[in-house]
Amino acid sequence: MRADLEEAKDERLAALAAGGDRGAFEALVTRHRQAVYRLCWSATGNADDADDAAQETFVRVYRSLPSYDPGRPFGPWLRKIAWNCGLTVRRDGNAGVPRVAEGDAPEAVDPAPGPEEAAAGNEERRRMEDALAALPAELRMVMVLRAVEGLSYAEIALTAGIPAGTVMSRLSRARTRLLAALGGSS
Amino acid sequence: MDCRETRTLLNAFHDGELPAADRARVEEHLRGCPECGALLADLARADRAAGVPDPGPAYWDRFNARVMDRVEREADGPGVKVLRPKGGWMREQLRYLVPAAAAAALVLVIVHYGGLRPGTPTPATNPAVGDRAAPDSAGEPMAKAGPGPLVTEKPGGATAARRIQSPVLTEERSAAVPRVERDRLPARPSPAGNEEAPRERAPAAPAAAPSPPPMMSSKRSPDRQEWPGAGTGKVAAGSVAPPAGSPPVAAPEGTPPGMHAERMKMAGAADRVAEQQAAGKAKSASSPCDLARTLAEREQMRDAEAAQRACLAGDRNAPSREKGLVFLAELLDRQGRFSEADAVIAEIEKKYTQSRSLDLYLQQRPMVQKQPKAVPVTR
Repeated sequence: MRADLEEAKDERLAALAAGGDRGAFEALVTRHRQAVYRLCWSATGNADDADDAAQETFVRVYRSLPSYDPGRPFGPWLRKIAWNCGLTVRRDGNAGVPRVAEGDAPEAVDPAPGPEEAAAGNEERRRMEDALAALPAELRMVMVLRAVEGLSYAEIALTAGIPAGTVMSRLSRARTRLLAALGGSS
Repeated sequence: MDCRETRTLLNAFHDGELPAADRARVEEHLRGCPECGALLADLARADRAAGVPDPGPAYWDRFNARVMDRVEREADGPGVKVLRPKGGWMREQLRYLVPAAAAAALVLVIVHYGGLRPGTPTPATNPAVGDRAAPDSAGEPMAKAGPGPLVTEKPGGATAARRIQSPVLTEERSAAVPRVERDRLPARPSPAGNEEAPRERAPAAPAAAPSPPPMMSSKRSPDRQEWPGAGTGKVAAGSVAPPAGSPPVAAPEGTPPGMHAERMKMAGAADRVAEQQAAGKAKSASSPCDLARTLAEREQMRDAEAAQRACLAGDRNAPSREKGLVFLAELLDRQGRFSEADAVIAEIEKKYTQSRSLDLYLQQRPMVQKQPKAVPVTR
Protein backbone atom coordinates (compact mmCIF):
# COMPACT_ATOMS: atom_id res chain seq x y z
CA MET A 1 0.00 0.00 0.00
CA ARG A 2 1.21 3.47 -0.79
CA ALA A 3 2.52 5.34 2.21
CA ASP A 4 0.31 8.34 1.57
CA LEU A 5 -2.77 6.15 1.79
CA GLU A 6 -1.91 4.49 5.07
CA GLU A 7 -2.26 7.69 7.01
CA ALA A 8 -5.21 9.13 5.12
CA LYS A 9 -8.61 9.30 6.76
CA ASP A 10 -11.43 7.15 5.44
CA GLU A 11 -13.25 10.11 4.00
CA ARG A 12 -10.17 11.21 2.06
CA LEU A 13 -9.64 7.70 0.72
CA ALA A 14 -13.27 7.51 -0.31
CA ALA A 15 -12.98 10.79 -2.18
CA LEU A 16 -9.86 9.55 -3.98
CA ALA A 17 -11.52 6.25 -4.78
CA ALA A 18 -14.56 8.03 -6.17
CA GLY A 19 -12.16 9.81 -8.49
CA GLY A 20 -10.88 6.51 -9.82
CA ASP A 21 -7.95 5.81 -7.50
CA ARG A 22 -8.08 2.04 -7.15
CA GLY A 23 -5.27 2.04 -4.62
CA ALA A 24 -7.29 4.27 -2.34
CA PHE A 25 -10.27 1.96 -2.66
CA GLU A 26 -8.19 -1.10 -1.85
CA ALA A 27 -6.83 0.71 1.20
CA LEU A 28 -10.40 1.14 2.39
CA VAL A 29 -11.07 -2.54 1.77
CA THR A 30 -8.03 -3.56 3.78
CA ARG A 31 -8.90 -1.23 6.61
CA HIS A 32 -12.54 -2.32 7.00
CA ARG A 33 -12.78 -5.82 5.62
CA GLN A 34 -12.71 -7.61 8.94
CA ALA A 35 -15.38 -5.46 10.54
CA VAL A 36 -17.53 -5.83 7.44
CA TYR A 37 -17.07 -9.57 7.45
CA ARG A 38 -18.03 -9.81 11.12
CA LEU A 39 -21.17 -7.79 10.58
CA CYS A 40 -22.07 -9.93 7.57
CA TRP A 41 -21.41 -13.07 9.57
CA SER A 42 -23.69 -11.79 12.30
CA ALA A 43 -26.44 -11.30 9.73
CA THR A 44 -26.09 -14.70 8.10
CA GLY A 45 -24.76 -16.94 10.84
CA ASN A 46 -22.34 -18.82 8.64
CA ALA A 47 -19.01 -18.23 6.92
CA ASP A 48 -20.06 -18.96 3.37
CA ASP A 49 -22.88 -16.44 3.26
CA ALA A 50 -20.79 -13.96 5.23
CA ASP A 51 -18.19 -14.14 2.48
CA ASP A 52 -20.81 -13.51 -0.21
CA ALA A 53 -22.21 -10.57 1.72
CA ALA A 54 -18.81 -9.05 2.50
CA GLN A 55 -17.72 -9.20 -1.13
CA GLU A 56 -21.03 -7.77 -2.20
CA THR A 57 -20.70 -4.97 0.33
CA PHE A 58 -17.44 -3.70 -1.10
CA VAL A 59 -18.61 -3.89 -4.67
CA ARG A 60 -21.69 -1.91 -3.70
CA VAL A 61 -19.53 0.57 -1.86
CA TYR A 62 -17.43 1.04 -4.97
CA ARG A 63 -20.47 1.51 -7.11
CA SER A 64 -21.99 3.97 -4.65
CA LEU A 65 -18.87 6.08 -4.10
CA PRO A 66 -19.98 8.76 -6.56
CA SER A 67 -22.98 9.45 -4.31
CA TYR A 68 -20.96 9.42 -1.08
CA ASP A 69 -20.53 12.78 0.63
CA PRO A 70 -16.95 12.99 2.03
CA GLY A 71 -18.22 15.55 4.50
CA ARG A 72 -20.02 12.80 6.37
CA PRO A 73 -18.31 9.99 8.28
CA PHE A 74 -17.46 6.96 6.19
CA GLY A 75 -17.88 4.28 8.89
CA PRO A 76 -21.64 4.53 9.43
CA TRP A 77 -22.19 4.73 5.68
CA LEU A 78 -20.18 1.57 5.13
CA ARG A 79 -21.86 -0.27 8.02
CA LYS A 80 -25.29 0.54 6.67
CA ILE A 81 -24.37 -0.99 3.32
CA ALA A 82 -22.89 -4.06 5.01
CA TRP A 83 -25.97 -4.43 7.19
CA ASN A 84 -28.25 -4.36 4.15
CA CYS A 85 -26.06 -6.75 2.17
CA GLY A 86 -26.00 -9.16 5.10
CA LEU A 87 -29.77 -9.15 5.39
CA THR A 88 -30.19 -9.51 1.63
CA VAL A 89 -27.92 -12.53 1.46
CA ARG A 90 -29.65 -13.99 4.50
CA ARG A 91 -33.02 -13.69 2.79
CA ASP A 92 -31.83 -14.98 -0.55
CA GLY A 93 -29.63 -17.77 0.64
CA ASN A 94 -29.72 -20.57 3.13
CA ALA A 95 -28.84 -18.43 6.09
CA GLY A 96 -30.92 -18.59 9.21
CA VAL A 97 -30.11 -22.24 9.48
CA PRO A 98 -26.62 -22.13 10.91
CA ARG A 99 -24.33 -24.41 9.00
CA VAL A 100 -21.84 -26.21 11.12
CA ALA A 101 -20.84 -28.89 8.65
CA GLU A 102 -17.17 -29.39 8.03
CA GLY A 103 -15.90 -28.04 4.76
CA ASP A 104 -17.70 -24.74 4.87
CA ALA A 105 -15.47 -22.18 3.28
CA PRO A 106 -13.88 -20.14 4.60
CA GLU A 107 -12.93 -22.20 7.58
CA ALA A 108 -12.48 -20.64 10.94
CA VAL A 109 -8.90 -20.69 12.09
CA ASP A 110 -7.97 -21.08 15.72
CA PRO A 111 -5.67 -18.31 16.87
CA ALA A 112 -2.72 -20.56 17.66
CA PRO A 113 -3.74 -22.11 20.97
CA GLY A 114 -1.14 -23.76 23.13
CA PRO A 115 -1.14 -27.57 23.06
CA GLU A 116 -2.31 -28.01 26.66
CA GLU A 117 -5.26 -25.69 26.29
CA ALA A 118 -6.17 -26.60 22.75
CA ALA A 119 -8.78 -29.23 23.52
CA ALA A 120 -10.63 -27.37 26.26
CA GLY A 121 -10.26 -24.04 24.48
CA ASN A 122 -11.61 -25.37 21.22
CA GLU A 123 -14.55 -26.96 22.93
CA GLU A 124 -15.42 -23.79 24.80
CA ARG A 125 -15.00 -21.68 21.67
CA ARG A 126 -17.20 -24.02 19.67
CA ARG A 127 -19.92 -23.81 22.30
CA MET A 128 -19.78 -20.04 22.18
CA GLU A 129 -19.91 -19.97 18.39
CA ASP A 130 -22.87 -22.33 18.35
CA ALA A 131 -24.67 -20.25 20.95
CA LEU A 132 -24.08 -17.09 18.96
CA ALA A 133 -25.08 -18.74 15.68
CA ALA A 134 -28.31 -19.95 17.28
CA LEU A 135 -29.46 -16.42 18.10
CA PRO A 136 -32.00 -14.77 15.82
CA ALA A 137 -30.12 -12.55 13.38
CA GLU A 138 -31.76 -9.40 14.73
CA LEU A 139 -30.28 -10.08 18.15
CA ARG A 140 -26.96 -11.42 16.90
CA MET A 141 -26.23 -8.40 14.72
CA VAL A 142 -26.82 -5.96 17.53
CA MET A 143 -24.77 -8.13 19.86
CA VAL A 144 -21.77 -8.24 17.53
CA LEU A 145 -21.88 -4.51 16.85
CA ARG A 146 -21.82 -3.84 20.59
CA ALA A 147 -19.67 -6.58 22.06
CA VAL A 148 -17.18 -7.01 19.20
CA GLU A 149 -17.11 -3.68 17.41
CA GLY A 150 -17.72 -1.62 20.53
CA LEU A 151 -20.30 0.67 18.95
CA SER A 152 -22.52 2.85 21.10
CA TYR A 153 -26.29 2.39 21.24
CA ALA A 154 -26.69 5.46 19.04
CA GLU A 155 -24.28 4.11 16.42
CA ILE A 156 -25.99 0.73 16.40
CA ALA A 157 -29.39 2.40 16.16
CA LEU A 158 -28.18 4.37 13.16
CA THR A 159 -26.85 1.26 11.44
CA ALA A 160 -29.91 -0.86 12.15
CA GLY A 161 -32.50 1.85 11.66
CA ILE A 162 -34.09 1.16 15.05
CA PRO A 163 -34.52 3.27 18.20
CA ALA A 164 -31.75 3.21 20.81
CA GLY A 165 -34.20 1.75 23.33
CA THR A 166 -34.73 -1.18 21.02
CA VAL A 167 -30.97 -1.66 20.80
CA MET A 168 -30.86 -1.99 24.59
CA SER A 169 -33.74 -4.46 24.76
CA ARG A 170 -32.22 -6.56 21.97
CA LEU A 171 -28.88 -6.62 23.75
CA SER A 172 -30.57 -7.67 26.95
CA ARG A 173 -32.39 -10.52 25.25
CA ALA A 174 -29.31 -11.58 23.30
CA ARG A 175 -27.22 -11.77 26.46
CA THR A 176 -29.93 -13.64 28.34
CA ARG A 177 -30.15 -16.21 25.59
CA LEU A 178 -26.42 -16.56 25.20
CA LEU A 179 -26.02 -17.17 28.90
CA ALA A 180 -28.83 -19.71 28.87
CA ALA A 181 -27.14 -21.53 25.99
CA LEU A 182 -23.81 -21.47 27.78
CA GLY A 183 -25.30 -22.75 30.99
CA GLY A 184 -25.21 -19.49 32.87
CA SER A 185 -27.90 -17.40 34.46
CA SER A 186 -28.88 -13.79 34.38
CA MET B 1 -31.95 1.89 44.39
CA ASP B 2 -33.22 -1.66 44.80
CA CYS B 3 -32.29 -4.83 42.92
CA ARG B 4 -35.26 -4.60 40.58
CA GLU B 5 -34.38 -1.12 39.37
CA THR B 6 -30.70 -1.96 39.19
CA ARG B 7 -31.34 -4.92 36.95
CA THR B 8 -33.37 -2.89 34.49
CA LEU B 9 -30.38 -0.58 34.13
CA LEU B 10 -27.67 -3.21 34.24
CA ASN B 11 -27.20 -3.64 30.49
CA ALA B 12 -26.94 0.09 29.93
CA PHE B 13 -24.56 0.32 32.90
CA HIS B 14 -22.41 -2.45 31.51
CA ASP B 15 -22.35 -0.76 28.10
CA GLY B 16 -21.44 2.64 29.54
CA GLU B 17 -24.69 4.14 28.31
CA LEU B 18 -26.11 5.40 31.60
CA PRO B 19 -26.14 9.06 32.56
CA ALA B 20 -23.67 9.90 35.33
CA ALA B 21 -26.30 10.20 38.05
CA ASP B 22 -27.82 6.78 37.34
CA ARG B 23 -24.39 5.30 37.00
CA ALA B 24 -23.43 6.46 40.47
CA ARG B 25 -26.62 5.00 41.95
CA VAL B 26 -26.03 1.64 40.29
CA GLU B 27 -22.43 1.57 41.49
CA GLU B 28 -23.58 2.29 45.01
CA HIS B 29 -26.06 -0.58 44.89
CA LEU B 30 -23.50 -2.97 43.43
CA ARG B 31 -21.12 -2.31 46.30
CA GLY B 32 -23.58 -3.92 48.70
CA CYS B 33 -25.27 -6.52 46.48
CA PRO B 34 -23.24 -9.54 45.36
CA GLU B 35 -26.25 -10.98 43.47
CA CYS B 36 -26.47 -8.00 41.15
CA GLY B 37 -22.69 -8.04 40.91
CA ALA B 38 -22.85 -11.62 39.67
CA LEU B 39 -25.37 -10.61 37.04
CA LEU B 40 -23.05 -7.87 35.88
CA ALA B 41 -20.24 -10.41 35.54
CA ASP B 42 -22.60 -12.59 33.49
CA LEU B 43 -23.09 -9.77 30.99
CA ALA B 44 -19.35 -9.65 30.43
CA ARG B 45 -19.33 -13.42 29.99
CA ALA B 46 -22.07 -13.17 27.36
CA ASP B 47 -20.05 -10.56 25.49
CA ARG B 48 -17.08 -12.88 25.37
CA ALA B 49 -19.29 -15.43 23.62
CA ALA B 50 -20.00 -12.97 20.85
CA GLY B 51 -16.70 -13.54 19.10
CA VAL B 52 -17.15 -14.10 15.41
CA PRO B 53 -14.99 -16.93 14.06
CA ASP B 54 -12.16 -15.49 11.99
CA PRO B 55 -11.74 -17.07 8.56
CA GLY B 56 -7.96 -17.01 8.83
CA PRO B 57 -5.03 -15.42 7.01
CA ALA B 58 -5.40 -17.48 3.84
CA TYR B 59 -8.89 -16.09 3.39
CA TRP B 60 -7.77 -12.52 3.93
CA ASP B 61 -4.87 -12.98 1.54
CA ARG B 62 -7.34 -13.54 -1.28
CA PHE B 63 -10.05 -11.18 -0.14
CA ASN B 64 -8.79 -7.92 -1.68
CA ALA B 65 -7.97 -9.55 -5.01
CA ARG B 66 -11.47 -10.99 -5.25
CA VAL B 67 -13.06 -7.64 -4.50
CA MET B 68 -10.81 -5.80 -6.92
CA ASP B 69 -11.48 -8.39 -9.59
CA ARG B 70 -15.19 -7.77 -9.29
CA VAL B 71 -14.66 -4.04 -9.27
CA GLU B 72 -12.57 -4.28 -12.43
CA ARG B 73 -15.30 -6.22 -14.16
CA GLU B 74 -17.85 -3.73 -12.98
CA ALA B 75 -15.81 -0.97 -14.56
CA ASP B 76 -15.36 -2.83 -17.82
CA GLY B 77 -18.74 -1.80 -19.02
CA PRO B 78 -22.42 -2.18 -18.58
CA GLY B 79 -22.44 -5.51 -20.38
CA VAL B 80 -20.68 -7.24 -17.51
CA LYS B 81 -22.82 -6.89 -14.46
CA VAL B 82 -21.76 -9.03 -11.59
CA LEU B 83 -24.17 -7.78 -9.01
CA ARG B 84 -27.71 -8.51 -8.24
CA PRO B 85 -30.05 -6.43 -10.36
CA LYS B 86 -30.18 -2.93 -9.00
CA GLY B 87 -33.26 -2.17 -7.03
CA GLY B 88 -33.29 -5.10 -4.70
CA TRP B 89 -35.36 -8.12 -4.12
CA MET B 90 -38.81 -6.59 -4.22
CA ARG B 91 -38.25 -4.80 -7.49
CA GLU B 92 -36.91 -8.03 -8.87
CA GLN B 93 -40.11 -9.76 -7.84
CA LEU B 94 -42.33 -7.07 -9.30
CA ARG B 95 -40.39 -7.05 -12.52
CA TYR B 96 -41.66 -10.51 -13.27
CA LEU B 97 -44.81 -10.67 -11.23
CA VAL B 98 -46.45 -7.78 -13.05
CA PRO B 99 -46.28 -9.33 -16.53
CA ALA B 100 -47.10 -12.72 -15.05
CA ALA B 101 -50.19 -11.30 -13.35
CA ALA B 102 -51.17 -9.59 -16.60
CA ALA B 103 -50.82 -12.90 -18.40
CA ALA B 104 -52.93 -14.59 -15.77
CA ALA B 105 -55.60 -11.91 -16.13
CA LEU B 106 -55.60 -12.46 -19.87
CA VAL B 107 -56.11 -16.16 -19.36
CA LEU B 108 -59.01 -15.47 -17.04
CA VAL B 109 -60.63 -13.14 -19.52
CA ILE B 110 -60.35 -15.80 -22.19
CA VAL B 111 -61.68 -18.44 -19.87
CA HIS B 112 -64.59 -16.38 -18.57
CA TYR B 113 -65.73 -14.67 -21.73
CA GLY B 114 -64.38 -16.93 -24.42
CA GLY B 115 -66.38 -19.91 -23.23
CA LEU B 116 -63.24 -21.91 -22.57
CA ARG B 117 -64.25 -23.40 -19.28
CA PRO B 118 -63.63 -27.00 -18.46
CA GLY B 119 -66.30 -29.03 -20.09
CA THR B 120 -67.80 -26.06 -21.88
CA PRO B 121 -68.49 -26.33 -25.61
CA THR B 122 -65.66 -24.50 -27.27
CA PRO B 123 -65.80 -22.29 -30.32
CA ALA B 124 -63.62 -23.61 -33.07
CA THR B 125 -61.15 -20.75 -32.82
CA ASN B 126 -60.75 -20.73 -29.08
CA PRO B 127 -58.83 -23.89 -28.31
CA ALA B 128 -55.82 -22.66 -30.20
CA VAL B 129 -55.84 -19.35 -28.40
CA GLY B 130 -56.63 -20.84 -25.04
CA ASP B 131 -54.20 -23.70 -25.21
CA ARG B 132 -51.27 -21.54 -26.11
CA ALA B 133 -52.11 -18.44 -24.20
CA ALA B 134 -51.54 -19.78 -20.72
CA PRO B 135 -48.17 -21.45 -21.06
CA ASP B 136 -46.78 -18.86 -23.46
CA SER B 137 -47.78 -15.74 -21.64
CA ALA B 138 -46.99 -17.13 -18.25
CA GLY B 139 -43.88 -18.85 -19.47
CA GLU B 140 -42.25 -15.87 -21.08
CA PRO B 141 -41.52 -13.95 -17.93
CA MET B 142 -40.40 -17.13 -16.28
CA ALA B 143 -37.85 -17.57 -19.01
CA LYS B 144 -36.65 -14.05 -18.36
CA ALA B 145 -36.27 -14.89 -14.74
CA GLY B 146 -33.46 -17.22 -15.67
CA PRO B 147 -29.87 -16.10 -15.94
CA GLY B 148 -30.78 -12.96 -17.86
CA PRO B 149 -29.85 -10.21 -15.44
CA LEU B 150 -27.01 -12.13 -13.89
CA VAL B 151 -23.58 -12.91 -15.18
CA THR B 152 -21.62 -15.12 -12.89
CA GLU B 153 -18.10 -13.97 -12.53
CA LYS B 154 -16.35 -16.46 -10.35
CA PRO B 155 -16.74 -19.97 -9.16
CA GLY B 156 -18.73 -18.64 -6.24
CA GLY B 157 -20.81 -16.60 -8.62
CA ALA B 158 -22.79 -19.59 -9.67
CA THR B 159 -23.81 -20.00 -6.09
CA ALA B 160 -24.84 -16.38 -5.91
CA ALA B 161 -26.81 -16.69 -9.12
CA ARG B 162 -28.60 -19.74 -7.84
CA ARG B 163 -29.49 -17.99 -4.64
CA ILE B 164 -30.90 -15.01 -6.42
CA GLN B 165 -32.82 -16.99 -8.99
CA SER B 166 -34.37 -19.39 -6.60
CA PRO B 167 -36.79 -17.08 -4.81
CA VAL B 168 -37.67 -15.34 -8.05
CA LEU B 169 -38.63 -18.54 -9.74
CA THR B 170 -40.44 -20.09 -6.84
CA GLU B 171 -42.27 -16.88 -6.08
CA GLU B 172 -43.22 -16.49 -9.69
CA ARG B 173 -44.36 -20.01 -10.18
CA SER B 174 -46.51 -19.88 -7.14
CA ALA B 175 -47.78 -16.37 -7.56
CA ALA B 176 -48.20 -16.02 -11.30
CA VAL B 177 -51.14 -17.78 -12.84
CA PRO B 178 -52.54 -20.05 -10.17
CA ARG B 179 -52.62 -17.41 -7.45
CA VAL B 180 -54.73 -15.04 -9.49
CA GLU B 181 -56.90 -17.81 -10.77
CA ARG B 182 -57.50 -19.10 -7.31
CA ASP B 183 -58.62 -15.74 -6.05
CA ARG B 184 -60.87 -15.09 -8.98
CA LEU B 185 -62.28 -18.49 -9.77
CA PRO B 186 -65.78 -19.33 -8.75
CA ALA B 187 -66.20 -22.08 -6.25
CA ARG B 188 -64.62 -25.32 -7.28
CA PRO B 189 -64.77 -28.70 -5.69
CA SER B 190 -61.92 -30.23 -3.79
CA PRO B 191 -58.96 -31.58 -5.80
CA ALA B 192 -60.59 -34.96 -5.91
CA GLY B 193 -63.68 -33.31 -7.30
CA ASN B 194 -61.61 -31.61 -9.93
CA GLU B 195 -60.58 -34.90 -11.32
CA GLU B 196 -64.11 -36.14 -11.35
CA ALA B 197 -65.63 -33.10 -12.97
CA PRO B 198 -64.41 -33.54 -16.56
CA ARG B 199 -65.60 -37.12 -16.64
CA GLU B 200 -69.01 -36.14 -15.41
CA ARG B 201 -69.38 -33.30 -17.81
CA ALA B 202 -67.83 -34.87 -20.84
CA PRO B 203 -71.06 -36.31 -22.23
CA ALA B 204 -72.61 -32.87 -22.19
CA ALA B 205 -70.07 -31.52 -24.64
CA PRO B 206 -71.20 -31.54 -28.24
CA ALA B 207 -69.55 -34.27 -30.23
CA ALA B 208 -68.64 -31.83 -33.00
CA ALA B 209 -66.39 -29.81 -30.72
CA PRO B 210 -63.91 -32.09 -28.99
CA SER B 211 -63.81 -31.32 -25.34
CA PRO B 212 -60.69 -29.36 -24.56
CA PRO B 213 -58.48 -30.60 -21.77
CA PRO B 214 -59.51 -29.13 -18.44
CA MET B 215 -57.13 -26.25 -18.80
CA MET B 216 -57.34 -24.91 -15.31
CA SER B 217 -57.10 -28.14 -13.49
CA SER B 218 -54.36 -29.53 -15.69
CA LYS B 219 -52.32 -26.38 -15.37
CA ARG B 220 -52.98 -25.86 -11.71
CA SER B 221 -52.03 -29.28 -10.55
CA PRO B 222 -48.27 -29.15 -11.20
CA ASP B 223 -48.06 -25.57 -10.03
CA ARG B 224 -49.85 -26.19 -6.81
CA GLN B 225 -47.61 -29.11 -6.04
CA GLU B 226 -44.71 -26.70 -5.86
CA TRP B 227 -46.27 -24.49 -3.24
CA PRO B 228 -44.90 -24.91 0.19
CA GLY B 229 -47.64 -26.45 2.20
CA ALA B 230 -49.72 -27.30 -0.86
CA GLY B 231 -49.61 -30.91 0.17
CA THR B 232 -51.41 -30.21 3.39
CA GLY B 233 -55.03 -30.77 2.78
CA LYS B 234 -56.33 -27.91 4.82
CA VAL B 235 -54.33 -25.30 3.00
CA ALA B 236 -54.85 -26.67 -0.46
CA ALA B 237 -58.56 -27.12 -0.14
CA GLY B 238 -59.03 -23.99 1.86
CA SER B 239 -57.20 -21.93 -0.67
CA VAL B 240 -59.14 -23.26 -3.61
CA ALA B 241 -62.52 -22.67 -2.15
CA PRO B 242 -63.74 -19.09 -2.00
CA PRO B 243 -64.75 -17.56 1.30
CA ALA B 244 -67.92 -19.01 2.67
CA GLY B 245 -70.90 -17.00 1.64
CA SER B 246 -69.49 -15.89 -1.67
CA PRO B 247 -72.21 -14.68 -3.99
CA PRO B 248 -73.35 -17.22 -6.52
CA VAL B 249 -71.70 -16.97 -9.87
CA ALA B 250 -73.88 -16.12 -12.81
CA ALA B 251 -73.92 -18.59 -15.66
CA PRO B 252 -71.71 -17.40 -18.50
CA GLU B 253 -73.49 -16.84 -21.74
CA GLY B 254 -73.72 -19.96 -23.79
CA THR B 255 -73.47 -22.30 -20.83
CA PRO B 256 -76.19 -24.91 -20.89
CA PRO B 257 -78.56 -24.43 -17.93
CA GLY B 258 -78.05 -27.96 -16.67
CA MET B 259 -74.32 -27.51 -16.61
CA HIS B 260 -74.60 -24.26 -14.72
CA ALA B 261 -76.83 -25.92 -12.16
CA GLU B 262 -74.26 -28.64 -11.74
CA ARG B 263 -71.52 -26.09 -11.32
CA MET B 264 -73.59 -24.23 -8.74
CA LYS B 265 -74.13 -27.49 -6.91
CA MET B 266 -70.40 -28.05 -6.78
CA ALA B 267 -69.89 -24.47 -5.68
CA GLY B 268 -72.25 -25.06 -2.81
CA ALA B 269 -70.29 -28.13 -1.81
CA ALA B 270 -67.06 -26.19 -1.90
CA ASP B 271 -68.61 -23.51 0.25
CA ARG B 272 -69.63 -26.07 2.79
CA VAL B 273 -66.11 -27.51 2.79
CA ALA B 274 -64.71 -24.06 3.35
CA GLU B 275 -67.16 -23.43 6.14
CA GLN B 276 -66.30 -26.68 7.83
CA GLN B 277 -62.63 -26.00 7.57
CA ALA B 278 -63.01 -22.48 8.83
CA ALA B 279 -65.15 -23.75 11.69
CA GLY B 280 -62.47 -26.25 12.56
CA LYS B 281 -59.82 -23.58 13.06
CA ALA B 282 -61.79 -20.59 14.20
CA LYS B 283 -65.18 -20.72 15.75
CA SER B 284 -66.34 -18.11 13.34
CA ALA B 285 -64.84 -15.48 11.13
CA SER B 286 -67.08 -12.84 12.62
CA SER B 287 -64.28 -10.96 14.41
CA PRO B 288 -61.49 -9.33 12.46
CA CYS B 289 -59.00 -11.32 14.54
CA ASP B 290 -60.45 -14.62 13.36
CA LEU B 291 -60.85 -13.30 9.86
CA ALA B 292 -57.16 -12.37 9.75
CA ARG B 293 -56.15 -15.95 10.56
CA THR B 294 -58.55 -17.39 8.04
CA LEU B 295 -57.40 -15.07 5.28
CA ALA B 296 -53.75 -15.74 6.09
CA GLU B 297 -54.31 -19.44 5.76
CA ARG B 298 -55.81 -18.73 2.36
CA GLU B 299 -52.66 -16.77 1.56
CA GLN B 300 -54.58 -13.53 1.13
CA MET B 301 -51.96 -11.66 3.07
CA ARG B 302 -52.95 -8.12 2.24
CA ASP B 303 -56.54 -8.70 3.31
CA ALA B 304 -55.32 -10.58 6.37
CA GLU B 305 -53.11 -7.64 7.26
CA ALA B 306 -56.07 -5.25 7.04
CA ALA B 307 -58.14 -7.55 9.24
CA GLN B 308 -55.32 -7.92 11.73
CA ARG B 309 -54.90 -4.15 11.97
CA ALA B 310 -58.62 -3.87 12.61
CA CYS B 311 -58.28 -6.58 15.23
CA LEU B 312 -55.46 -4.71 16.97
CA ALA B 313 -57.31 -1.40 16.76
CA GLY B 314 -60.39 -2.96 18.29
CA ASP B 315 -58.88 -3.76 21.65
CA ARG B 316 -55.73 -1.95 22.57
CA ASN B 317 -55.38 -3.49 26.00
CA ALA B 318 -56.06 -7.08 25.18
CA PRO B 319 -53.56 -9.51 26.68
CA SER B 320 -53.24 -11.08 23.26
CA ARG B 321 -52.04 -7.84 21.72
CA GLU B 322 -48.42 -8.94 21.97
CA LYS B 323 -49.08 -12.03 19.87
CA GLY B 324 -51.30 -10.02 17.58
CA LEU B 325 -48.49 -7.63 16.81
CA VAL B 326 -46.12 -10.52 16.15
CA PHE B 327 -48.69 -11.93 13.74
CA LEU B 328 -48.93 -8.56 12.01
CA ALA B 329 -45.15 -8.52 11.60
CA GLU B 330 -45.33 -11.94 10.00
CA LEU B 331 -48.06 -10.83 7.60
CA LEU B 332 -45.88 -7.90 6.53
CA ASP B 333 -42.88 -10.18 6.07
CA ARG B 334 -44.97 -12.47 3.93
CA GLN B 335 -45.72 -9.54 1.65
CA GLY B 336 -42.05 -8.67 1.36
CA ARG B 337 -42.54 -5.48 3.40
CA PHE B 338 -39.57 -6.16 5.61
CA SER B 339 -38.90 -2.63 6.81
CA GLU B 340 -42.53 -2.24 7.93
CA ALA B 341 -42.25 -5.55 9.72
CA ASP B 342 -39.06 -4.26 11.35
CA ALA B 343 -40.99 -1.27 12.64
CA VAL B 344 -43.68 -3.51 14.14
CA ILE B 345 -41.02 -5.68 15.72
CA ALA B 346 -39.41 -2.59 17.20
CA GLU B 347 -42.79 -1.62 18.65
CA ILE B 348 -43.17 -5.06 20.21
CA GLU B 349 -39.69 -4.89 21.68
CA LYS B 350 -40.46 -1.52 23.15
CA LYS B 351 -43.68 -2.61 24.81
CA TYR B 352 -42.80 -6.19 25.71
CA THR B 353 -39.16 -6.27 26.58
CA GLN B 354 -38.94 -10.06 26.96
CA SER B 355 -41.50 -11.18 24.39
CA ARG B 356 -41.30 -14.94 24.03
CA SER B 357 -43.69 -14.82 21.06
CA LEU B 358 -41.38 -12.41 19.30
CA ASP B 359 -38.31 -14.50 20.03
CA LEU B 360 -40.00 -17.55 18.60
CA TYR B 361 -41.01 -15.65 15.50
CA LEU B 362 -37.54 -14.18 15.02
CA GLN B 363 -36.20 -17.73 14.89
CA GLN B 364 -38.64 -18.50 12.09
CA ARG B 365 -38.33 -15.17 10.35
CA PRO B 366 -35.64 -16.02 7.78
CA MET B 367 -37.71 -18.93 6.56
CA VAL B 368 -40.87 -16.81 6.45
CA GLN B 369 -39.10 -14.19 4.38
CA LYS B 370 -37.85 -16.81 1.98
CA GLN B 371 -41.09 -18.78 1.74
CA PRO B 372 -43.88 -16.23 2.08
CA LYS B 373 -46.48 -18.70 0.83
CA ALA B 374 -46.08 -21.17 3.65
CA VAL B 375 -48.54 -21.63 6.46
CA PRO B 376 -48.37 -18.83 9.05
CA VAL B 377 -46.07 -19.73 11.90
CA THR B 378 -47.46 -17.38 14.51
CA ARG B 379 -50.76 -18.05 16.20
